[in-house]
This record gives sequence, structure tokens and C-alpha cells, in this order.
Amino acid sequence: MSLPAGEAHPALSNTYRWSMPANWWTRKRHYFFYMLREFTALPLALWLLWFLVEIKRAGDGPASYAPHSSALFVVFSAVCLAFALYHSITFLSLAGVIIHVKFLNRPVPSRLIVLSQFGLWAAASIVIGFVLIWFGR
Amino acid sequence: MAKRITIQATRFDPEKDTKPRLQSYDIPFSDDSMVVLDALNYIKAHVDGTLSYRWSCRMGICGSCGMMVNGTPKLTCNAFLRDYWPQPVVVQPLNNFPIVRDLVIDMEDFLDKLKSVKPWIVRKQEIPLGAGEHLQTTSQIDDFKQFSQCINCMLCYAACPVYGLNNEFLGPAAIALARRYNLDSRDQGLKDRLPVIAEAEGVWECSFVGECSVVCPKGVDPAKAIQQTKLDTTMRFVLPYGNRE
Repeated sequence: MSLPAGEAHPALSNTYRWSMPANWWTRKRHYFFYMLREFTALPLALWLLWFLVEIKRAGDGPASYAPHSSALFVVFSAVCLAFALYHSITFLSLAGVIIHVKFLNRPVPSRLIVLSQFGLWAAASIVIGFVLIWFGR
Repeated sequence: MAKRITIQATRFDPEKDTKPRLQSYDIPFSDDSMVVLDALNYIKAHVDGTLSYRWSCRMGICGSCGMMVNGTPKLTCNAFLRDYWPQPVVVQPLNNFPIVRDLVIDMEDFLDKLKSVKPWIVRKQEIPLGAGEHLQTTSQIDDFKQFSQCINCMLCYAACPVYGLNNEFLGPAAIALARRYNLDSRDQGLKDRLPVIAEAEGVWECSFVGECSVVCPKGVDPAKAIQQTKLDTTMRFVLPYGNRE
């Protein structure tokens, strides 16, 4: 007999309904790091909003622009950098799970896919860093 | 003096109890090869015949004896007491499912979801038996083989917080089995399964916790199946030739 998902079977209507405890994510290390991974998006979004404000300020000309350099902002930026690295590393590590390609009718090993992702990340970082330094001089 | 071990098992009688409770049993731990299921069978045979739980094959194949063992979803026929002794072992019904009695859960929701993905070979036109075998290469079998190891034990559902928070989610095993058949070179049922697996409560509900793959006793990787299905369905949508059969 087919029933809509989540609906109790008529013969079993007096079952005990299990409910997820609010602190479920503290009960396993794996769950905690999953929540941390998801949470990292929030400070990153805040930092990027701040970055947009800085770009707007820089657009007013070099004479009136000075980068924001309070100790609190530097600490916040360092924390955001750590979160960004954690998010990027976990994301790129998953590439080997998600991407499935074949070469000469054989599946490419996950490790090779992950390594290629990290290689592309490093190359992109070098190119962007070079462009920013070269044109920012 | 013979070793003993304490088993704390969930008891719930729907006729009497308003919520489950734990009951302790102190039993002999006579043999290092004893598993949690052996302990439950000892309790049922010698201590308390009213204890209810599911089991069948006792060799990790049927998938019936899945329970929470010290908070982790496990096949109790494959959870050795020696790994827990001398600490007590807490045995509870699988998380995220309604409890029918003691350690028995209501699996109807899972079975309905499983059926919805048509986990069998779908053909537009059946090949007559007289036409001979439908041959597959080793490479074609390798494409889906690991997903075909699923024994429907539901440990992945008990480990999945997404299913725990929203039981409309199709869930790990159903999606892994859908992928198993979608990758099978003999199958032509992709378009029948897509409306179920590609909808919001299908693969897109998954936020990749990954615990489903950690607890799978057969080495299936449902998280991989889900993420690959997300990529495939996106490609079907984005690429001009994506809607090909």
C-alpha cells in the first residue's frame, strides 16, 4: 500500500514519533564539522559585503581613500581567511566524489581529480595575485 | 569468573508507554565473537521474552537488524561486544523513524520512497527471452556495481540529519539505488525516475553531510550517488544535448 511520505501506516497509528533534538549537531564530530562548513558562508558573505563598501570608497579616488586597518577588522579578516580556506579545501576535496570522467574508457581516479582541482586553484591564485600586484603598482 | 556486560535496550509498549525508556540487562559475555544481536537474542531467550526487535540472516546480508548502538547506526549482527566491553552497550531503534515497539521501527516511509524510484530494470520494450543474454562489459558493470551492494538496511537514513529534519527528503538509499539503475546499460527508465529524484525533495534537499556513506555497512557511497546525480541533472538542464536519452 502506497502512502504519502511521512504519514503513519494505518495499522501502526500509535507509533512513537521520533523528533530530532536541537543539539543533534553536537553529538558527532562529523556533524559538528559539517555545521562549521555550512556556517563559514556567513562570515564570508559579511566580509564580501565589506569588500564592496571598500571598492565604493576606493572609487572616490586615491586622494580620499585609506584602507580600513583597525585591529578588529584585521582579526575579522584573518578569521574570514581561515574560514575561506576551510570552505575551499572541503569543497575542492569533494570534487573527486562528484566528478566522474573516463579517459581511454577507464575512470579517472578520484585523487587525480582532486589534485587537478587544487592545481587549478593554485594557478588561479597566482594569476590573480600577479594581476593585482602588477596593475596595483 | 565469567565476564558480564550490561545492555541497555529501548523499551516502548504503545499500549502503555507515552515515550520510550531504557531498560538495563546484565548478561554473560562468554565469547569474544558475541555480537550485539547475540546479546539481544540471549535477553529474549533467557531474561525477558517480551523484548521486540527485527533480525533474520545474522550475517550482514538481509539488512533487518539495524539499530543505534551507542548512538551510531549499525547492523547489530556486525557490532561486536568486545569493541564496547566493559562499558555498557546502549541499543536503541534507528533514529529518524517512528517507533512501533521496543527496537522495531516503522519502515513504511522508506519502502514507499524506495518504490517511487523504480529500483528495477525498466525497458521501453522488453527483450524476449529467446533473444539471449543482454551482455554487459566489465566496464559497464563497474559503472553501477558499488551502488548495487545496498541491502536496504536504512542505516543511512538513521545517520542523515537532513532526513531527520525533513522526512519528505527522498533519502540516501533510494537515490543510490535510482542511480544504480540509471547507470545500468540495460535500463531505459531514467525519464521515469527523473521526476522523483530531480525534484526539490529529491537530490536537491541533500546538503552533503556525508554521514550516510560513513555508516553504510556494505561500502556503498550514497553521498556520491546524490552529488553525481545533482551534476548529471544540472548538465541535462544546461547542455543543449543534455535531454538526450
